[in-house]
Amino acid sequence: MSKPKVGIFGLTGCAGDQLVILNCEDQLLDLVALIDIRDFLMASSDGQPACALDIAFVEGAVLTTRDAETLRAIRQRSKVLVALGTCAVWGGVAAMDRGTDRGKLLEEVYGERGREYDSYAAQALHEIVKVDCNMAGCPIEKEHFLAAVAALLNGDPPVYPEYPVCTECRMRENNCLLIERGEICCGPITAAGCDARCPDLRIPCIGCRGPVADGNAASILSMFEQKGFDRQSIARRLRTFAPQEVS
Amino acid sequence: MSTIVIEHLARVEGHGGITVELEGDTVTNVHFDIFEGARLLEPLLRGKRYDEVAPILSRICSICSAAHTLTSLKATENAFGIRVSPQTELLRELMFRGESIESHALHLFLLALPDYLNYPSAIAVAADKPAAVLLGLRLKKLGNTIQEVVGGRAIHPVNAVLGGFGRVPSFDHLISLRSALLQAVSDCDTVIDLIAALPATDFCHSDTTFAALRSPNLDSYYAGDEVMVVSGGNRAIVNAAEYRTLTNEKAVPHSHAKHSTFRGSPFMVGSLARLTVNPRRLTGKLAVAMKRLKLQLPADNPMDNNKAQALELINDVERALEIIEQLLRDGIKDERAIPVHPRAATGSAITEAPRGLLIHSYTYDDEGRIVSADVITPTALNAASIELHFRRAVEQCAERDEAVISKRLQMIARAYDPCISCSVHLVRKS
Repeated sequence: MSKPKVGIFGLTGCAGDQLVILNCEDQLLDLVALIDIRDFLMASSDGQPACALDIAFVEGAVLTTRDAETLRAIRQRSKVLVALGTCAVWGGVAAMDRGTDRGKLLEEVYGERGREYDSYAAQALHEIVKVDCNMAGCPIEKEHFLAAVAALLNGDPPVYPEYPVCTECRMRENNCLLIERGEICCGPITAAGCDARCPDLRIPCIGCRGPVADGNAASILSMFEQKGFDRQSIARRLRTFAPQEVS
Repeated sequence: MSTIVIEHLARVEGHGGITVELEGDTVTNVHFDIFEGARLLEPLLRGKRYDEVAPILSRICSICSAAHTLTSLKATENAFGIRVSPQTELLRELMFRGESIESHALHLFLLALPDYLNYPSAIAVAADKPAAVLLGLRLKKLGNTIQEVVGGRAIHPVNAVLGGFGRVPSFDHLISLRSALLQAVSDCDTVIDLIAALPATDFCHSDTTFAALRSPNLDSYYAGDEVMVVSGGNRAIVNAAEYRTLTNEKAVPHSHAKHSTFRGSPFMVGSLARLTVNPRRLTGKLAVAMKRLKLQLPADNPMDNNKAQALELINDVERALEIIEQLLRDGIKDERAIPVHPRAATGSAITEAPRGLLIHSYTYDDEGRIVSADVITPTALNAASIELHFRRAVEQCAERDEAVISKRLQMIARAYDPCISCSVHLVRKS
């Protein structure tokens, strides 16, 4: 079988998910033996923008007309499109409070000229094109990326946990930061997959992997209220990485 | 008139390009085009509580996420009058070192090296010269391991919080880091061998102004409240509180990064600037390595930043070992983070991120919610200097061959190790 042709792309974001790929130091050379990377601008200057791709990994959110055009072009040339990271899957931090007047924000940062910049509120990839697989995480977990490549090489769709961070946190036998210490921990409504990294370090979850599929936001909101936090700031916090309308 | 355009710069972080306009042999216009989308994180921060700030601003950039996190924490701690423990200071410095090792190894081996050897990527280099790439990957992994052990994650660290750490690394963790670092000492020697053997990059000479944190104890990336600007024989000091005199930036139409000058001169920040401002660091092994790399300070060639990064790799490994020795000697204590009592105040912090000076400055209300936030990043500070050096390189290129000029411009851009995601996040209009 010929090696699948792969492209790795970044729209607007921190490039952290592409960096996770480059951080697979022990696997990188084996990885490039299994897949044929045809386009990876962050790592290579011989990209082939016209080449049809079997798999496209795309990180970042869509913030500019240019981002949207790039994404559509990637979609057109790719059989499978994988959204890499929370920005691509949910919009990410750039999508927080995305109802805010964009022109005003631009003017605040860049002066009057700012209003002319090509810039709109962050959108997740699936709001623009069809996405075949969503791999959340801010950044993604290295193991998830490697497992996804292995699955896709076998023609299988990658699978991710459909339970909240709390499940992993309990398996690590941590004390509950929310119930026992009254801290704002987003674990109950956040998708697992991080092995409860933050609560295991006694740090409350901030929801960087985006919402869990069947999270009961209403019930957790009332739990936070019982702990004395006001509803508005809790709601805002829960939307730091994923605006409500996307989820 | 002719125009040279590099549409989309490869092997850098983020989205940027280069445009040079020529009228005969005269360079009429030079642009470092930055078209990375503007995420506007600073104004979006308004109203966020103090504990949300560092995790959000970490997302400005993955490669510098530890520096953004730690600079953010320090600015907020300065606003609230929090003084962290000496152990916390040491662990934070260790995180900076880990990030610097990862970032420099990534840049030198995966991004810059292919140019010198005429390959499109490190992956292509690895097919013919696997040892060089594996060396870079080993050092890169070491930097990431340090960040994972101390910061809880290699990208967007979670363990560093206001007042300290969630959970400090264990004695056993430090012992295993120490042995990894000891193994890296000989790798650093090999780095110098490798860099010293690369073809000379002698195509851009220019008087250059440098700016870096003046470290009180020679080589801290994290401590220090004074920025020194070195220009020829002249030296000037800028206090942290007056950082805006360094950043009298203007918005330019071709870029989402504003340009900074100091008294009218573009200036360079980063590894080369740090060595120029703190030459007392360059003793012992570093002095020998510097001689082998034929590096003289102050340098007039921006490509020397690559050599400076190689020297810093040695220094980072040495310093990380010293920190770990000290933590082991003193005994690592399971300290909890100092509790936070917010107040209405402004706090700023200046540190040295891998690519140079990084400034975070916040104003909080009395409930500890953000009123305004300024972030000034190394690549934004470097933007004007990058353009100056593009101009010099074109002027000094005897051949009017577009391919030659284009390659030189790209090599200069990469020597600055630009982090374009970072550069888009800039100070608010004053």
